[in-house]
This record gives sequence, C-alpha cells and structure tokens, in this order.
Amino acid sequence: MSNAETNKSAQRNTRRDFFARTSDGLLGAALAQLMCGDFFGGPAALGEEHDAATGVPPVYNLKPKQTHHPSKATSVIQLFMNGGPSQMDLFDPKPVLNRLDGKPFPGNVEEIGNQGAADIGVMMGGRYKFARHGQSGTWMADVLPHTAQLADDICLINSMWTDHPNHDNALYKIHSGRLFMGYPTLGSWTVYGLGAENQNLPAYVVLNDPLGPPKNGTRNWTAGFLPPVFQGTRFRPTGSPILNLKPQYQQPSEVTETARGLLNRLDAIHLKDRPYYGELDARIESYSLAARMQLSAGEALDLSRESSHTHQMYGVDEKWTDSFGRRCLLARRLVERGVRFVQIFLEEQPWDSHADLADNHRGACQRTDKPVAGLLRDLKQRGLLDSTLVIWGGEFGRTPTTQKSADGYSGRDHNMQAFTSWIAGGGVRGGTSYGTTDDFGHSVVENPVSVHDFHATILNQLGLDHQKLFFSRSGLDERLTGVEPPRVVTEILS
Amino acid sequence: MKSERLTILIFVSCCLVPCSEGQADEAMPVFQSDIQPLFSRKCGKCHSGKVQKGGLDLSTMRGIRRGGESGDASVADSVDDSLLWQMIDGGDMPPEGQPMLTDKERALIRTWIAGGARSESPADFVEKELNQHDVLPIVLLRCTTCHGARLKQGGVDLRTPTAMRKGGKNGPAIVPGDPDASLMMQRIESEACPPRELLLKYFVKRPPVAEVEVLREWIAAGAPEFDVLPDVATTEPDPFVTDEERQHWAFQPPVIGHDAASIDDFILKRLQENGLTFSPAADRDTLIRRAYLDLVGIPPSLDEWQRWRDSGESVWYQKMLDHLLASPHYGERWGRYWLDLAGFADSEGGVSADPIRQVAWKYRDYVIGAFNSDKPYDRFLIEQIAGDELLDHENSPVVTAEMVENLTATGFLRMGIDQTGSRTMNFVPERLGVIGDVINVLGSGIMGLTIECARCHSHKYDPIPHRDYYRFKAIFQGALDEHDWLTFKNRSLDVDTAERHKRVAQINPPLLSRIRKLEADTKKALTALQTETLRQHYPTQSEADRRETLRSLRIADNNRTQPQRILVEKLQQAEVLPDSEQPSSVLAARRAVDDIHRETAGVRRQLEPPLTIRALWDRGEPSPTYILRRGEHNKPGRLVGPGVPSVLTNGRTPFDVQPPFPNGAPKTGRRLAFGRWLTQPNHPLTARVMVNRVWYHHFGTGLVKTLENFGAKGELPSHPELLDWLAVNFVQRGWSIKDLHRAIMNSRTYRQSSHVTDETRKHDPGNRLLSRMSLRRMDAEALRDSLLFISGRLDDTSGGPPDPVSVNRDGLVSADSRAGGRWRRSIYLQYRRTEIPSMMDTFDYPEMGPNCLSRSVSTVSPQALMLMNDQHVHNLAVSFAARVESILDRRGHDARGDQVDTVYQLALSRPPGDMERQLGVQTLNELHRVWQEKPHAALETYCHTILNSAAFLYVD
Repeated sequence: MSNAETNKSAQRNTRRDFFARTSDGLLGAALAQLMCGDFFGGPAALGEEHDAATGVPPVYNLKPKQTHHPSKATSVIQLFMNGGPSQMDLFDPKPVLNRLDGKPFPGNVEEIGNQGAADIGVMMGGRYKFARHGQSGTWMADVLPHTAQLADDICLINSMWTDHPNHDNALYKIHSGRLFMGYPTLGSWTVYGLGAENQNLPAYVVLNDPLGPPKNGTRNWTAGFLPPVFQGTRFRPTGSPILNLKPQYQQPSEVTETARGLLNRLDAIHLKDRPYYGELDARIESYSLAARMQLSAGEALDLSRESSHTHQMYGVDEKWTDSFGRRCLLARRLVERGVRFVQIFLEEQPWDSHADLADNHRGACQRTDKPVAGLLRDLKQRGLLDSTLVIWGGEFGRTPTTQKSADGYSGRDHNMQAFTSWIAGGGVRGGTSYGTTDDFGHSVVENPVSVHDFHATILNQLGLDHQKLFFSRSGLDERLTGVEPPRVVTEILS
Repeated sequence: MKSERLTILIFVSCCLVPCSEGQADEAMPVFQSDIQPLFSRKCGKCHSGKVQKGGLDLSTMRGIRRGGESGDASVADSVDDSLLWQMIDGGDMPPEGQPMLTDKERALIRTWIAGGARSESPADFVEKELNQHDVLPIVLLRCTTCHGARLKQGGVDLRTPTAMRKGGKNGPAIVPGDPDASLMMQRIESEACPPRELLLKYFVKRPPVAEVEVLREWIAAGAPEFDVLPDVATTEPDPFVTDEERQHWAFQPPVIGHDAASIDDFILKRLQENGLTFSPAADRDTLIRRAYLDLVGIPPSLDEWQRWRDSGESVWYQKMLDHLLASPHYGERWGRYWLDLAGFADSEGGVSADPIRQVAWKYRDYVIGAFNSDKPYDRFLIEQIAGDELLDHENSPVVTAEMVENLTATGFLRMGIDQTGSRTMNFVPERLGVIGDVINVLGSGIMGLTIECARCHSHKYDPIPHRDYYRFKAIFQGALDEHDWLTFKNRSLDVDTAERHKRVAQINPPLLSRIRKLEADTKKALTALQTETLRQHYPTQSEADRRETLRSLRIADNNRTQPQRILVEKLQQAEVLPDSEQPSSVLAARRAVDDIHRETAGVRRQLEPPLTIRALWDRGEPSPTYILRRGEHNKPGRLVGPGVPSVLTNGRTPFDVQPPFPNGAPKTGRRLAFGRWLTQPNHPLTARVMVNRVWYHHFGTGLVKTLENFGAKGELPSHPELLDWLAVNFVQRGWSIKDLHRAIMNSRTYRQSSHVTDETRKHDPGNRLLSRMSLRRMDAEALRDSLLFISGRLDDTSGGPPDPVSVNRDGLVSADSRAGGRWRRSIYLQYRRTEIPSMMDTFDYPEMGPNCLSRSVSTVSPQALMLMNDQHVHNLAVSFAARVESILDRRGHDARGDQVDTVYQLALSRPPGDMERQLGVQTLNELHRVWQEKPHAALETYCHTILNSAAFLYVD
C-alpha cells in the first residue's frame, strides 16, 4: 500500500470509532442513525474500508445512495390491479365497439393475439358510461366516480403494451421487465439503486390482501439474482406485520430482558476476541434493528392514530372499501416515514373478467376507487404527492371481443397489445392522456409505451438512469430494462 | 404482432434521415478509395483476410456483404439496420484498448452506409442464391411437427428436399419451378396449414409473409440444393479465434513447476513476500468444530467430541478427517453444494402453478451417493452429461443397477426451469430457454466459462464466437431438440431393475387404493369444514347460498360471476380469522381434515418409489442446428455441427463423435464425445474449476474469486501455481475429491486460527494471502441441521422422496415433522421454487436461476427475528434443554455450572470460558427467580439464548 493510501485510510473513521463516540453522545443521534445503514446490508467485512483492489467481496446494504441525477420523486406506491383491467371500459372509450356490439370481429381473429382462436367471441361494447372530467377533460367511466375527481392529477398512459398474453409471464414482465421468473422486480431495483431513507423499517414493503396472495405470490416482489436484502418485505395488515416480529411463544418480559442482556454480553465477549470482523458488528446491529423494528413497525401500522376524517377519506370501516382503504392509508404512513417502495395487491386476480365483466369490474372498482382517490387527496394535502409516484395498473389489458365462457358471452379475454396504466405525482404531468389505440382499443397506433419504457420513466423520476443501474453477474451487466435501450417518456413529465 | 409492427414504424421513420443526406451524390464515399484504407488501419488487426474475428472480413466488399458469423449483414438498406454501424455507434467497436475512430471517420462510415455502401466494382453485388438451408429452418419451425419424424400427416415428411418432392398421398409437396402448383405453397397461403385449431396444440405459429416469400422463391428457382457441410472444427486453422487469444492463462493446460511440494509452500511464499507468516494453529476444539461443520455440516456428538479432544494420538486430526470422510453425512453436506451448481429444485417453475417434479429427488440421492463413494470426478461428469450413452439399456436383456444410475445421473441436465409442459408455454423460444439453461449451467458451473453470453452475438470479452455457442448447442440436439420436443410431462423413462419392478407391483397397489379412499375422505371433510364455517359465521345465510358457495369454489376464480365471487369472498373472510375467533366446531372440523392429511402422508411414505427417472436421453434423430442470428429463434443463420469452444482446443482438431452403440439403440454419441473431451487429463479448465470450487467451500473464497468465470473478465488467481498444482494432482490422484479434502484440510494453511492481528489486517486485509482462516457464518443447511442435531430432533434417515412442507396463514413455510416429532436434514426437504422453507430462505438459500454458483451471505434483521421469536426454533431450544437435563440426571449432576458446561459442549463443542460460565450461572439464577413456577423454563431460556449467540452462528 502506498503512503498516500495509508494516510487516507488512517483518516477514515472506522465504524468501531464511530460507535465508540456515538455512545458517549459526541456525534449525536442523527449520525448514529446514518451509521445503522452501514450494518443493514450484510457482510461488512473489515475490508470494506479498503479499496476494491484488496479483493474483499462487495457489500450490499440499504445505506442511502447517490442518485444519478436530481430526483423528482423519492418513493413509489404501486397500486397493482391484478388480472388486467379493461382499458376500453374504464379509461379509453371506443364508441365503435358499442356500434359493433354482438357482431363478429372485423379483422382476422388470429390478430387478437391470444394463442387460441377457438374461444374468441363477438365484439362487445363498453359496459359503462364515459364522461370527461376535470379541466383536462380526461375520459373516465362512471364506475370510477372518486378517481375521476382527481383527473387533473393523473396521467393516463393509454398506449401500454406487453409481450405475453398469459398472467404468469405478463406479471413477471410488468414487475421485473422479463417474461420469466427469477429476475428482480422494479421495487428491488429501486432499493438497490437508492437504498433506504428509514433504517428502522424495511425499504421495500408489500401490502397484500388479507384474503390471500396475488397470482404469482412472492414472485411479485422477489429480488431475483440481486442479494436478498433487496427483496420486498410483506407486511400483514392484521396481527404481527412481519413474520416473527413478536415472539410466537409466551414469556414474561422480564425473561426477555434477561435473555437479551445475556446475549449482548456474550456477543460482546465473542466480538472482543475477534477484532476486525465487521460482520460480527453487523450481526449485533441486526439484533438491535430487529428490536427497533418492533417499535417502528407497530407505530407505522397503527391506524388508530389517524383522524376519523382521514379514515372516511379512504373508506376505512366501510363495507366494500375497508380492506383496500386500510392498505392505502398504511402506504401513506409508510412513505411518510421514508419507506422507498410500497406495493399494494388484491387477492388473486379480481380484474380478470372472462365472464360477467360488467358486474365484476364494478365490484373491483367499488373496492378500490374511493381508497385510491383518498390516497391521492391525502398525499396531496400533506405535500407528499410531489415526491411520491403513485402507479395504477395491471399486467395487460382486455380484448374488444367477448370470450366464450360458462356464463355465455359476457367477459373479455387478455390483451397484450394495448392497456392503460396511470401515474400520478412525482413530477409527472397530471391531466394528461398519453398515446392512442385503434378504433377497437385493441392495439396501439401512436406513442407506444413498452414495459421497459414505463420502468425507465419511473426510474428516471427517482433520479436513476436505467442504463447506469445494473448488476454484474456471470460476466453480464443485467439491467431492469434489458438489452435494447428503452425510452424515457419525457412527454408526460412536467 | 405488435412488436414487429412497432419495429417497422421505427425503421421507416429512421430511414428518412439517410434519404435526405443522400442528396449530395457527388461527394458519396466509395469503398476502394475512402473506406478500405480506413478499415485496414483501424479494424484490420482483427478483421482482415487473414484474421477474421467474429467471422468478419472487412478488407473486401465481399467480406462485408457476407457479414460475420452470425449471418447478419454488416451493411444493410438502412444505417440503423446495419450491424456494422450498430457496433460502431454503440461504442462496442473498435474494442477497448484499440485505436478509436475519430468523429470524422465515424461520420464518413455512416455516410457511406447510408448511401448504399458504394463500391467501384459492380461485381461485388452478387444476389444470394437460395438453397435448401434457407428453407429447412422455416419448415422445421412451421411444418415438421405434423410432417416430420413423429407425425407424417397425409403421408408427408418435409424434413428434406427429396422428401418434399416425393410428398404424400395427395402428390408431391413441391413442384420445383412452379410454386403455384406446389401443394405446400397452396396449403400455406390459404392458411389451411398450419391448421388454426392445431396451432396451440402443437405450439406452432404461422409463417410471416417474409418466410412464405422465401419458400416461394426457392421453389420458383427450381428448389436448388447445394452441398453445404455443417460448420465444424477441421484440421485447418480456425480463422475466428487467434493463437494469441488462446494464450490466456485459463485456456492453457495447467502445469506444475519442479520445486512444488505442498499447499503450504505456495501460501507461505506469498505470505513471506508480504512480510507475513502463518497465523498460529487453531486450538483443538476449534479444529474439531471447524472440520465437522465443514465436512458433514453438523457438530460432533458429545461422545465424538470427547473422543477427539481426549485422544493422545499424534494423528488424531488425520483420523478425525478419515472418520468424517467415511460418514454418510459427508455426501449430504458436499452433495448440497453440487445441487446448487446444478440448480436442483423439486418443481418445474416458470408458471405460477409451479408443478412439482415428482422424482427430482432421485438425482439428489445420486449426487449424495457419488460424493459418499468418492466417485472419480471425471466419471461423475461423464455420467451426468452422457449417462444414457454409456450403456445400451434398450437392447440389454436385463436392466442393471448401473444403467439405472447412469440414467439418473443425466437428471443433471434437467434441472433448469422448464415450463414446456404448460398449456401455453411450449413454443420454440421457451424450449430454447430450457436448452440455454443447460448450456449456462455447464459453462459457468463446470467449465468456468460464460458461454451463454455468445447466444446472441460473439462473446464481448472472451474469444467465444457466436458460432461456438451453436456448435455447443448441437451437442445436445440429439436429446434437446427444439423442433422435436418432449415436455417435462413426457420426458421421463420408466426404467429400473427387475427387483424394483417386482417390489412396485407387490407393494403399491393396496397402498394406492387406500390413498384414493383417503383422498375421497379429504374432499368430504373439506366440504364439511366449509359448510360448518359458513353455518357458524353466517347463521342467517340460506342453505342454497351455502351450496352455491361450494359450487363456486369449483369454478376457476376468473370465470366466476360477481355474485359467485362475493359468496366465495365471504367464506374466505371467515376462514382467515384467527383460531381464537373460530367456534370449536370449526376447529374440530379442521382437525378432522388435518388428521386425514397426516394419515395420507403416512401411507404415501410407505409407497415403493415409482420407476420413473427424470432423465435426458439421445433420441438419435437430431434436427440440423443453425446459428440463430441475435439469438432469435426465427432468424436462422449458418448450418453448424457439434463442437466445443474453439479456444479450449488448438483450433485444428476436429470434434470426434462416434455413435456409441453401432448395432443397438440409435444415439448420436455427441454428449459422450463432449464428456470424454471435458475429462481429458490435460483439459485446461475442468480440474482447475473443480479444485477451485472445493477450495472455495473450505476457505470461503476461491483461489479464483469468480468461480463461474475464468475468462478475460474473471479475476486472476491469487495463487496461480497453487491452483495448477492442485489441479494436476487432482487428476493424477484419479480425480478423487476426498483426497483433495485431505490435502487441503491437512495443510497448515487450513489449520490456522481465524484471529486477525493488526499485522495481518494491515498487510492482508481481505485475506487473499490466507494469512489466517476466515470466520464464517453457518449457511442455512448447517444452521438448521445443527439446531435439530443439538436439540436431539434430527432424524438421520437418508434418501427418498423429499419431506413435504406446509405454508401457514402467515406465509411461514416449514417442514412437516416426521414420526416422533423429528425432522430430517435440510437437503431432504422439498424445494419447490415458490415454497422455499422460511428458515432456509431467511438464511440465504438461493433462487435457482438457473443455478447458484456461490451463495451470498446477508446479515439482516429477519434472521434475528427468526432465531429469537420463531415458535419452531423455540421448541427446539426446549428440547435442547431437556436433553441437557437428562444427560446431567444420568451423571447425577444438576448444579447450574454443570448445566452451563453441558450446554456449551453440546452447542459449541467446547467448554465455556470463565466469563461465559460465570455469566451463565448468574443468568440461570436470575431466570429461576423470574420463572418460579416453571422450574424447567430457566434452562430453556438459557439454551435459546445460546442458540442465538454469535458463538453458535459463526465458525472460527
């Protein structure tokens, strides 16, 4: 090691020094907080303080990271609409469909794009009434009365398209940019790129439906080949929010304290005999973080701290909206506390309406419309919407034709060629309707937005450059947005 | 297709630019005067007549038009479609370290391509003549499923031009010179073929217009056939890979110098060069624990620990290693590492249903057995790569155990994600994905080479041409043929010995009928449970609604009407309520269901395992293999034959393939040839990669840190001579892995203490010089198995079907216990990709995508939560405490100090230190005070705390 380097490392404070000083109060709580990040991630081997040339493996953690460029948004709430909501019934009105209702598809049915043509029925008109809303005159159907009131804050992307008409693959695609399992999701890439703001809570939180997991289960928030520290943590809406957050056995608190005291002392002895093993510090810290998390998570999840007005806004305690409303309110409390990425799911796939679309979609809207509007309004009034990207959408759209089903011709099949997603907040231009589909809402004719484009745009708002955000494995630089460069949809940014 | 349409739109808009540039016709650059000298100067080193990296010759117009090995033209109708321009524009060419193009030069090249790549010599514009190899890839993709090897609909086989001319019962399929009269064209153009109703059944898509045009033109031209030989290695020098590129250290066979004597010599030499020496040897207790966890993955029993500790023999350590290497638990430990490499899983993955792989465990048991018997590594590889080509079981009067074992070994090539048995995911691209995973596992796991990078284009860093990927793929074409595919559902063999056939026939039928009855009972019990749940929670609901709820459950959720959805949701809302809010009748009904489940599981365990083997076997009729341009299934390039990466040969040696059973089962012998080539004693990579992996598992870091990449982007070995010395000795000692363990573990290097001093920290911060042993956290298996072992709850039954797991309402995935409230070692759990046991997952059990070559180690709070708060871990601590008490009872001791001693001996294989003992006694006193009414609880809490301590979790 050269002299210059030795000097440099001598000047650099070791974590051990820091802790020595934080404990006597010299550096203050804020700094201690920052240091915790150091330990969150993993094998912070002693070599971490040295240069990469020493051959110490890279350390992955959730310390706050530099953005690639100034960010517009610091957190994301993804309202995931599993099953594929129908664009032509909710956001992208197609009067031609109403005229052709019950008639055969005018083109070649193989163009519908699904793998079997046998199930394809006749054309189906829009099931709800459309009106323009807000100053922008954004189209929305009458089953979304609450969301419609916030039309001027919402940017509709009517020209989304994806590569696969099956749920499984389209879900992998919309979450991880790939059609197959095993790749990190948008949330994982986000926390890999940005780290966490609040070290006492997980950086990437998943709120799923108490009724059950969504289609594809935990694969919707997997870290794939990224280190597991970047995977989503599922918070349960009732009971203990994190697996094993509280002891699963009965024990007086005095026992717990005695045991913890013993553990601390034994670990201190162990550590003292083994100087320079950073991972031992990290492990001790992981125990104290676990203890802090019990408090923080409990506080973050305590909805009783919210006013009854707020509860009403989200539809908490109302028959249809209670469950989704609670998750939306929780999401706000989490981003407020610095959680980076929150995903909200519905059970299984309620939007997947192969049959009885009119009632099924009405039901799904009834569960979600008011809470979603409540969330947007609440974020807005607290000044959080500017820094929070709210994303609404599913994995694909639906066909202009009906599908034969047990219930006759009353629902639509999957459509990978066009669907609508929307974004609000985080520097996205509200009141915009971007992209155009053909007369049937079946495929995109103008300003197509691929899933990679969509992801690149979201990363861009978070201050991340999709090209610079990569992870090397087996000699390949893997990116969320794949090999072919995508496009940031600058037209929808303010 | 949406994406294609979009691409066209983009191209059209891009074309506008060059058109407007094209006005200044006079100034248009011309190849001979403007471009040739520039290419010769800046690109000629690698792309000339003599050296053609990537198969590209930029010295002549002919070479440029022909393009590189991928078959993509260097110049094209538009700038953006030109691969040459893409490489230049993207900054990929010239490569790093070579003279760069100036902006002016780049502009000149762009203008030249945009202007149509003008040349003085008009003779350069030769229209390419079509031949059968332009047509066959299309026919394979669109037609041969019904008109090929397996099916000959209408008596038609379209796999060769001759067969096309012959046709079937309706006459010839093609009439050379007259496409309109050709039945094939008529059928395709009228969309009668491929038939609409069979598209999804056979996973075929219609040919796009461009393909139909090719078929038409070829027939119109008289269906010409050229004598095209597949591109394979010959005795001529390979123009694609230079001798200079073969010089990279890892592509040269390992050699040993004269002064080499032992591992320690190599290590000490480097230490001394850096002013260091070995750390002192670790103490005996540390060595015992280290060796046990390292070789068998569980700590020593009390007796064994005392035996080694008290041994007065000078060779106690060597004896201990021999004892451990002879233990059946050794294969369970080291086999697991191999399963990571292979990407072992008990499910197919790919689709959310994640179907179970019923007999994947047979491969798992094969691996464990191979490690336990110290099967020579070369043999181990050949069996896994070409076990089906070693013995001809099809033409043998009796099936021997060896044949069964060989076939089971080929499960290695079947471990990747395979969704091709699903209803909609069995198209050629998905099949190519399965093949890609096999190549990826072999390349990175066994050859230390990222061959998979060459799937779409020549490797960016290593001299692996695009061509070599497809030659390599051709090795597997006899078994994994994307045009003649077997899905995971029908790719298995029912082959076994006569003895096993007999057992299955005798034992299983009565058990199966009992299982069927139990399954019927389960259904009834479930219905009763659901009805009772509804009755109790919704007493006012009508019986009709209850019946409708149960009926709705049988309809797929996305086909339910809204009223049906609401009914089902009501039931679910009642079901998810905690036990405390469930009436006793519901809980009783639940117990009834659980009881039947348990009984069924018990009967299942008595079944004789099925004869099925999840094997890979050559089917003897491989389709031709074409390079796929940019890796896309519908962009065929040149015809290639089987071969290994040229850079690992001298470039002048043909790949020698012989059918293994000339008079027996038809097999290509390609994989066998590959296996034999791979295990040649002087192979540059095979032994090096394996000894490096073994080293990695012993020390936590490989001599080459990038286990999967010995290529240009891989890291250089920290001790190159040592790596070669180990590799050469490994081969010379008959590829014995156990000998390798002995060599490594007997070294002074391995026996060092893990203590870091100021000195070693300063001069060897990352321990690359191995100035000490590295402290390491137990991996998921060692941790779970140790917890079970220490608490006396380990069932050490080996092998057989995996133990099922259950997912509780909180999402906790845990292994079901076996008889007597015991659990087997972690390697015997069921690893369904979507249901990884929570404890394994929490402690970094990897996602197999397609495999895992080194696990990451994270230190996160969910681990603390798991060990502190999980019910199961706590239960194990309770058992541990009971064991401690019973041991002391037998000895007639019960003082608290004795308890502390015994806890340490069992959990940590050492006595407590003075401080630790004192703390232990104090805490026990304190706990007894608090736990007054529960005299046993104090020791339980203490045991639980020790299992949470760093001293337990980390190995010195």
